Amino acid sequence: MIDGAIGILVATVVAGTPLVYAALGELVTERSGVLNLGVEGMMLCGAVSGFAVAMMTGSVWQGVGAAMVVGAGVAFLFGVLAISLKANQVAVGLALAIFGTGLSSFIGKKYVGQAIVLEPSALSVAVGKLPLVGPLLGQLHPLVWLSWVLLGAVSYFLYRTRTGLVLRAVGESPRSAYAIGYKVVRIRYLATLFGGAMAGVGGAYISLVYTSLWTEGLVAGRGWIAVGLVVFATWRPGRCLLGAYLFGGVTTAQLFAQGAGARVPTELMSALPYLATIIVLVLISRDATLIRLNVPASLGKPFHAEN
Amino acid sequence: MSNISRRNFVMTAAAGSLLAPAGLRTALGADEVLKVGVIHQGAIADTGWEYFQAQAWRSLDKAFPGKVKVTVLENITQTQDAERLFRQLSTQDHRLIFGTTFSHFASLKKLAPTLKKSVFECCAGIEASDNLGVFEARHYEGTYLTGIAAGRMTKSNILGWVGAFPVPQVIYSLNAFMLGARSVNPNATLKIVWVNAWVDPGKEKDGVAALVAQGADVISGSPNTPVQGLAAEEKGVWAIGSTGDFSAYVKKGQLTSFELDWSAAHIEAARAVMAGDWKPSTRWRGLGPGGFVKMTTNNPDLPQNVVAEMKAAETAIVDGKLNPFKGPIKDQNGVQKVAANAVIPDAELKGMNWLVDGVQGKLPSAG
Repeated sequence: MIDGAIGILVATVVAGTPLVYAALGELVTERSGVLNLGVEGMMLCGAVSGFAVAMMTGSVWQGVGAAMVVGAGVAFLFGVLAISLKANQVAVGLALAIFGTGLSSFIGKKYVGQAIVLEPSALSVAVGKLPLVGPLLGQLHPLVWLSWVLLGAVSYFLYRTRTGLVLRAVGESPRSAYAIGYKVVRIRYLATLFGGAMAGVGGAYISLVYTSLWTEGLVAGRGWIAVGLVVFATWRPGRCLLGAYLFGGVTTAQLFAQGAGARVPTELMSALPYLATIIVLVLISRDATLIRLNVPASLGKPFHAEN
Repeated sequence: MSNISRRNFVMTAAAGSLLAPAGLRTALGADEVLKVGVIHQGAIADTGWEYFQAQAWRSLDKAFPGKVKVTVLENITQTQDAERLFRQLSTQDHRLIFGTTFSHFASLKKLAPTLKKSVFECCAGIEASDNLGVFEARHYEGTYLTGIAAGRMTKSNILGWVGAFPVPQVIYSLNAFMLGARSVNPNATLKIVWVNAWVDPGKEKDGVAALVAQGADVISGSPNTPVQGLAAEEKGVWAIGSTGDFSAYVKKGQLTSFELDWSAAHIEAARAVMAGDWKPSTRWRGLGPGGFVKMTTNNPDLPQNVVAEMKAAETAIVDGKLNPFKGPIKDQNGVQKVAANAVIPDAELKGMNWLVDGVQGKLPSAG
């Protein structure tokens, strides 16, 4: 029974981790007032480049590094179009999602169906031997631990540092921030690049740790869930993590329930994460103060410095 | 004076074009090259569904050196694009055109009557029509044999199946897997999880974990990637390469496997079109020479007597002495669905929507 519960818990965290990375990255991007819907595309590009580099070098970490660079690179493309050229952010984001899907298929062509076998690192083995928490933590990849560090870092950055405050100010009122001398465009670029890099790590986690293989469309809609999660979390990092595990938990719990022979409507369970996002969206939209408190006021609006 | 309106003109022209090509199904000249078109829904990989399709048209070059020219379009994910390309292939004089998935069948059923210049063959489909043939594999003959291996090797008597969608092809495959296992181990049971996706490696891996947590120690399914096998190997249980030999990746954990081989379908169709005597047909074949199901790698740890047992069953199936769906067969609730010595007719198998005794999961529709 305990083993079963731990199994579900581990599976939940494992399934939720790519969402944690992608959603935290997107959260920072959106906090600066930029809505980048291309998370799915950035994750796919990260997944395939991470896989390709790890195949070549045999190192997960070099793969993750490559995924960060590529994810940020794709996000840079978004920045050029949506921030510098001030194209409609929704349209560019959607285009990026489709472009990323195609690009990743193209890059990954020769890797389709291949698998990568990675030995657990010395660190994981050492952690696994720790008393009490060891057996649980040891089952999780260091990238999972790092996602918790990332949560702490993002929370601290947004709410406890001056730069974080500036970033939020840019998202609320870029005009005011600009008037008192902050470089709105540069800050938005950096936030977008961070979002892209984290989406890349989320993708690489899927191809390197979660499934250890590459196939087309590997991310399978998780990028869209990450975008939904940010709304679900009402732009708060802590809730992002909870939401990610909730969504991961729904997926794995229904599989465990099926395995146990419970009668669960699987199609409905598969749709549940999306349904939950819609419900939360409706709930927070009903309350005007909740919106004012949480949604970055200038989200999705291009910033023109000239007028 | 006849009044030729535009509508009349279009209709007459259309009627004419329908009648005209009726006589076009003629033999090819001695030095004529047969143009063959193939549309793949996904990318061609090193294994899995699209790979088997690709192996089939690759076999054409070997069978008819210099006599065929194959045009391949891969990764055509949208049905609308596939329809446009089927039409284009036909107008570019491809006399023989292959569809590679069930979703192509719906398109071809609609298109074939308007493209009489070409002959179409679709892998998976419901029925043949004038210039559209259908071929499909009796996957269940393969899963029955892998079921024997699973039934012999399980220690917990619990087998696991990671299902994509509860369609008849998947249902009869897993039913035969259970029947194969029960034929050697009456205590074997089978648990199922449905992931509701043809390819979602993440969910498939979680599905394996869920089954293993429930005590399953041999995992099968209908995977397109090595992910299920890798996940099983990681958990220290056996995996079965059902419709795909993943032994190159799943080095220790893959117990046995079978693959799909469509080359006979392609070669026969090409030969008939060349000779001018192609006729629409529905070919549904399993094991044996010219068949679509081929048993592949066995794990060195699979005992020789089990291999022999599988081999004997294979011979019996090929010789027509053994039918996996021969009664008596009970369903999950213990109701007898097939009487002793009766067999399930093909038409019923193609619409199978119930699970045999010993299977513990549920069909989502029944939930």
